[in-house]
Amino acid sequence: MAGKIKMMIDSIIEQRAKDNAMLQGVIRTKLMLKGIDPKKYTLQSDDDPAIISKLETLVKDLK
Amino acid sequence: MNIVSAFSSKESVDLVVQDLQEQFKDLDVKMVIYYASSLHAPETISQKMQQAFPAATVFGCSTAGEIASGKMLKNSVTAMAFNARAISEVEVAVVENVQDDSGVEQAFASFEKRFGVPMLDLNPRRFVGIILVDGLCGAEEKLIDKIGDLTDVTFIGGSAGDDLKFAATHVYANGKSYSNAAVLALLKPATEFSFIKTQSFSTLCKKLVVTKADEAKREVIEFDNRPAAEAYADALGIPVEEAAGRFMHNPVGLVIEGEPYVRSPQQIKESSMLFYCGVVEGMELSILESTDIIEDTRKALEEAKAKLGTISGLINFNCILRTLELEQKQATEEYGALFAGFPTTGFSTYGEQYIGHINQTATMLVFK
Repeated sequence: MAGKIKMMIDSIIEQRAKDNAMLQGVIRTKLMLKGIDPKKYTLQSDDDPAIISKLETLVKDLK
Repeated sequence: MNIVSAFSSKESVDLVVQDLQEQFKDLDVKMVIYYASSLHAPETISQKMQQAFPAATVFGCSTAGEIASGKMLKNSVTAMAFNARAISEVEVAVVENVQDDSGVEQAFASFEKRFGVPMLDLNPRRFVGIILVDGLCGAEEKLIDKIGDLTDVTFIGGSAGDDLKFAATHVYANGKSYSNAAVLALLKPATEFSFIKTQSFSTLCKKLVVTKADEAKREVIEFDNRPAAEAYADALGIPVEEAAGRFMHNPVGLVIEGEPYVRSPQQIKESSMLFYCGVVEGMELSILESTDIIEDTRKALEEAKAKLGTISGLINFNCILRTLELEQKQATEEYGALFAGFPTTGFSTYGEQYIGHINQTATMLVFK
């Protein structure tokens, strides 16, 4: 499978920042400090379970 | 004035507290933040500071040097007092075991109860958080990471110090002293505020990718699939034996939108490198080269002043490695003088927090 990471990142940024550009930047910074560079992932990127697990924690905290 | 800063270099806690009380006597104090040399007994300073301002929210930590308006100090206590015209509301919570994720959740539950709004819905333009954390707990990145997951409010702060003894550091709140703990304060300032994150480094073209790390130990085992120390030394074009001597001048940084988030190497252990903050596998780090702390800080302060129009108070969390560099260059007086024009408090930290946990940086909370 591929592309799940890119979709999760986009969804997190959309939910957390909505249209706020400043917040979008902050959330990208937070992701990079976790070792997840949003620019590195496309819909063709492999579904790395370690990265998906980190993102799932974030998604859980959104609820 | 709604924000007043003060310091005292008196020898006993009683005299220090009396001195600070006298300097704040004209202010109807709502909140006091203070930073105390490890010279002062932790339980005593915390208890007596709270007793001195019984109606106020009082919190602080131990230091590796103090910062006041116009001065860098040693063996002193520096403090800042706010009235209700500066801080509308404040709530403090203590996370007593920083390794436990649920501590942040409990602290945030107390904030939500006080302010009546979920932390995720708080407006980051109207609220700000301060974090003071045990500087020897080694868990700051996990803590700030969790905070960042749960809220969009910016938490800024520093890791407590102990005057370079590296024995025990303390955070203070509710008249008590805590270790392996963090004090989180959620503030609703009555005035506009902004942040400064300044580090004096330029980015060299050389990059290192973390390919093997023990994240819990802040240890990089391999850069670019090679022993970390060897790869770092090669990137600088020096023998491995000389690498440790370059750490202060050439740390590494995660560069985001042109802005470095500095990770400072601490020591070489066999062929690995230990850092003062977390490094994660997959991170691409740039080699940095030090520039001029005085000029870079001056510029950052000028930009903040231009943005806000005026500065009514500033809290400076200044990395101890910056302080040591300033001392080496006999530039502490010049650095202190940069903060002469407005109420300032702060301390030399064992780590700085702003969005993440960082090193060799000054993070500052600035009030209009």
